[in-house]
Amino acid sequence: MRLDQIKKDGAFRVTKVNCQNESVARLMAMGLLPGQVVRLTHEAPLGDPIAVVFQGCHMSLRLIDAAEVEVEKI
Amino acid sequence: MSEAPSEFRVALIGNPNTGKTSLFNALTGMRQRVGNYSGVTVEKKIGRWALNRDQDVHLIDLPGTYSLSASSLDERIAVDVLAGRVDDHPAPDLIIVVVDVENLQRNLFLASQASELGVPMVIALNCWDIAEKKGLQIDCKLLEQRLGVPVVPTVATRSRGTEELARAVEHAIKTKAMMMRPIWPEAVKTAVQKLHNEFISKRGEALQVGELQRLIFDRSSAVRERLQTPESEYEGIIKDARDQLYKDGFNPDAAESILRFRFLNPLLGDIIERQAALKKRTTTESIDQLLLHRFWGLVVFVGMMYVVFQSVYTWAGPFMDLIESGTGALQKIASDALASMPMLQSLIADGIIGGVGAFVVFLPQILVLFLFISLLEESGYMARAAFLMDKLFHWCGLNGKSFVPLLSSYACAIPGILATRTISDPKARMITILIAPLMSCSARLPVYLLLIGAFVEPRYGPAVAGATLFAMHFVGAILAAPIAWLLNQTLNQGQQPKPFLMELPPYRAPRFKTMTWRMYESGKEFIIRAGTVIFAMTVIIWALLYFPRPAEVEATVTKSYQTELAALEIQHDLSENELSKRIDAAYLEQSYMGRFGKFVQPVFAPAGYDWKITVGVLASFPAREVIISTLGITYALGGEIDEESNDLRATLTQAEWESGPRTGESVFNIPVALSIMVFFALCMQCGATLAVIAKELNWKWAIGSFFALTAVAWIAAVLTYQIGMLLA
Repeated sequence: MRLDQIKKDGAFRVTKVNCQNESVARLMAMGLLPGQVVRLTHEAPLGDPIAVVFQGCHMSLRLIDAAEVEVEKI
Repeated sequence: MSEAPSEFRVALIGNPNTGKTSLFNALTGMRQRVGNYSGVTVEKKIGRWALNRDQDVHLIDLPGTYSLSASSLDERIAVDVLAGRVDDHPAPDLIIVVVDVENLQRNLFLASQASELGVPMVIALNCWDIAEKKGLQIDCKLLEQRLGVPVVPTVATRSRGTEELARAVEHAIKTKAMMMRPIWPEAVKTAVQKLHNEFISKRGEALQVGELQRLIFDRSSAVRERLQTPESEYEGIIKDARDQLYKDGFNPDAAESILRFRFLNPLLGDIIERQAALKKRTTTESIDQLLLHRFWGLVVFVGMMYVVFQSVYTWAGPFMDLIESGTGALQKIASDALASMPMLQSLIADGIIGGVGAFVVFLPQILVLFLFISLLEESGYMARAAFLMDKLFHWCGLNGKSFVPLLSSYACAIPGILATRTISDPKARMITILIAPLMSCSARLPVYLLLIGAFVEPRYGPAVAGATLFAMHFVGAILAAPIAWLLNQTLNQGQQPKPFLMELPPYRAPRFKTMTWRMYESGKEFIIRAGTVIFAMTVIIWALLYFPRPAEVEATVTKSYQTELAALEIQHDLSENELSKRIDAAYLEQSYMGRFGKFVQPVFAPAGYDWKITVGVLASFPAREVIISTLGITYALGGEIDEESNDLRATLTQAEWESGPRTGESVFNIPVALSIMVFFALCMQCGATLAVIAKELNWKWAIGSFFALTAVAWIAAVLTYQIGMLLA
């Protein structure tokens, strides 16, 4: 499963991050690394971007970047 | 504030929303100055901080950054200042990293990057009070031991912890306290060594060792731009170094994050003690349930934007009227006082006072808008607004943060363009600036009202008139979307789109001081930097409309007026008023601008304009609404006319072509009226906007956008007229 596909219920653990561009490198620098637990908090009215929370930090990101992050449900 | 060369320099760095600027203010008080880094719009804040009774240090507040990878302009400045490469500032002697206690890991990532610079460091754990309230406990002593640098809890907003911070800085300077660095794997060490050999030993580049890492880890590092090494050689060397990492199983783009967090996490694991209370939903999260809701969030957003827009429009209105009538009163006083010297009278009243009035009048709107912008930003709502709107703008290269500037541009493009400073992606910001003038600002309204009132309403009734007015407000916005898309496709092909990653910071009450400060700064900057240019342009246009003023004009006009009256065979007193209006009209026709208007009229002929309209279009270069008074003068009604004037409306409907193939036909009809409105809806007839674009981007862009938008306006006006004539 990928981060752009997660639903609001439950928490997810990052399993892999495909770091091919600056956006994703930046996400990683903010701490979104394998092992991190992340939850979906909001979706924008048009479905993109999404807001997630990890380590107490609320971040907004576009689906295209979220698709580079693989997660599993916990 | 002069800088003694021996003075100690301390830089403040930290993530956005950590209270870094509050700490800066708490430490320096009023002893600070704010400017810009040369050539960019990044704020530069420098102040003096009394470390103890005998020693002042130089404190530099750097823009908030998450990382030193230097992808945004703000980060670039931070990196450059830390390396001592900005203006004439030497590198800092000590770095204070401001850390938000609640996000310790992520915040210390930046500290860890800075540790590579080999400069003593102190860590300020800010927002200590909030953390305590939330039941978060951090063992500072243990953290200090593990990181190797002093760690000081602070509450910047209440100036708590500043004394301890001063002692810690003294201590760190004395002991040269450096933060522990990660133990890098062999692959990274080898790669760094390689770069060291190639760039520093072989090519003698003035690089610091800490900067070599940035070249390996960041694809588009600002450090690259400082090197003399040619692109082709550089590419090869960097590829070699990055391949080294790949060989050992590290993705160079991801390696830094993984390795640094791998180093930091074990250090922090047992230091933070979260109590159960933290799991409870915070106030911010509760507010976001409403404000980020897919439906209600939009409702609130639209409501808020409505309030902002209305306020810029209506609150500023009375003040603008006041400035306008003040300008008018001054002009009257000046022209009465100087009645004996007509040229000086016109220069001072119309040129100088009119010129100053032309830009001061924008001040109320700028102040009101910046009041709201700082409210939205300070409270944390701006990030939410950008979140809600992003998708709508993303496809044409803009982002959610373009919304507020573009909406404000409907009141006036000037505050709108200034407001683009909130957009961190330079490309999105640039496109937003370039399309902002297409939003139909309030200065176009008089033009619409005059022409709709004179031509559309009498013929089609108020309903169609209203619809026309509405449509005129959207012509620009509809064209703006494809233009933005086109700009996005063509600008900086090589540049990757900047990531749209935004923290949604906790809500907080805006501080009055910050808000008034921002209003003051934006107003001051507009007056000083844009005002001078606008003033100069107004005076030049005045001169073009005034000179050369041949003396015989007056005699000729008087004579022809007398003949005309005689021909009417009525006993008619020579009306002084009527005569002077006719003389003004004749002077305008004889002026450089009038001659130029006649000369370029063929260019505007396909849009249906005669020379009088053409002069109106040209003379309204400093400000669109000027066309009304210019038309007033050319049609001998005097310049003190407004869009509601029935005289002007009646005169326009009666105007006929004076020469050429269409002599005797009326100049104005529905297609001509529409064509003029479309032209004014799209053109860049606003000297003030041009000056602001030049200030925010550069003159090349300002002049380029002037010609581009004039071309677009001309094409659209010609199409409107030609299609209109076919249908009529």
